Amino acid sequence: MYRVFVITGLIITLLVSCSSEPSLQKYFVEKSKAKNFVTLDIAPNFINTDSLKLSGEEQSALKSLNKLNILIFQNDSLNESLYDTERNNVNNLLKGEQYEQLMKMGSGNQGVAVYTLGEEEHIDEFVLFMHEQENGFGVVRILGDDMNPNNIMTIIGLMQKGNLNLEQLKPLQDIMKT
Amino acid sequence: MVMLMPALFSAQSSAFDKFDGKEGVVAIVVNKKMFELMSNVKMDTKDEEAQQYLQLIKKLDNLKVFTTSNTKAVADMKSTVTTYLKKYPLDELMRINEGGKTIKIYVKTGASESQVRELLMFMEGGKDETVLMTLTGNFDLSEISILTDKMKLPGGKELKKASKKS
Repeated sequence: MYRVFVITGLIITLLVSCSSEPSLQKYFVEKSKAKNFVTLDIAPNFINTDSLKLSGEEQSALKSLNKLNILIFQNDSLNESLYDTERNNVNNLLKGEQYEQLMKMGSGNQGVAVYTLGEEEHIDEFVLFMHEQENGFGVVRILGDDMNPNNIMTIIGLMQKGNLNLEQLKPLQDIMKT
Repeated sequence: MVMLMPALFSAQSSAFDKFDGKEGVVAIVVNKKMFELMSNVKMDTKDEEAQQYLQLIKKLDNLKVFTTSNTKAVADMKSTVTTYLKKYPLDELMRINEGGKTIKIYVKTGASESQVRELLMFMEGGKDETVLMTLTGNFDLSEISILTDKMKLPGGKELKKASKKS
């Protein structure tokens, strides 16, 4: 009996230690209710394709895209060090997980970086990380299933062709106004 | 040994990483994964130039460009380049002086004379901003002109001259 307890105890600690590992996903969930943060989920139907006749290629490209998760941190003028702390948190998460950095661009107090998750050209996630000392930062997770570079190009093309359904982006526009 | 190789390479190119995020310095970093993804994009197979470009991109590992007009950063870049070249000697491919501007291009060649593993360009002086660029991979010197045509690299004109020289 004692042994069973020890084993279950071990399993529980194992499970807990696994799930307690920080991840970008967790960070999003955790911050969704936090002050200075705004998060939103966007379904791929924000690209309005109703009026378009989609080719097979375009359909499969759209299918590879599941959703967009966006997190925005607005700078708090009363607590400026928060920007650095939270930015470091995101940076560490991007370094820690299996993310690979594609590229980055920036100067001292602003910049953009792009990361991917997935094997070779089979990308399951793109992460865009934009930061600006004065305003805050934004993280965009583009989640999908086997998004290859050609699919991405096709989707970008569709975004230009179709109308964007901006209804889902309303919370973002509200931030811009304030 | 194979495991150690990437570590060794990154040790070299990381010498300039301190300029990344420094105030007054604009940094652009493109990694191998990006080049790999880009080389997978479908392009017109009849377009010879595009095909050459895709072929070349597959051979690139890492591109870093640092641009600044901050005098302190310029001085720092200059001394870092000097120290770097002492530590990892590269061959001077060419040196151009024009209108108060100095452009120096260094390469580390591979198996053959025209095979490039690393290219370093330092452009300073004159009215323009100071530019430090490093490119690693395994490509032919003659292919650089394709790159300068397709990507808007700083010092493209000079690099083109350099690749013609070979």
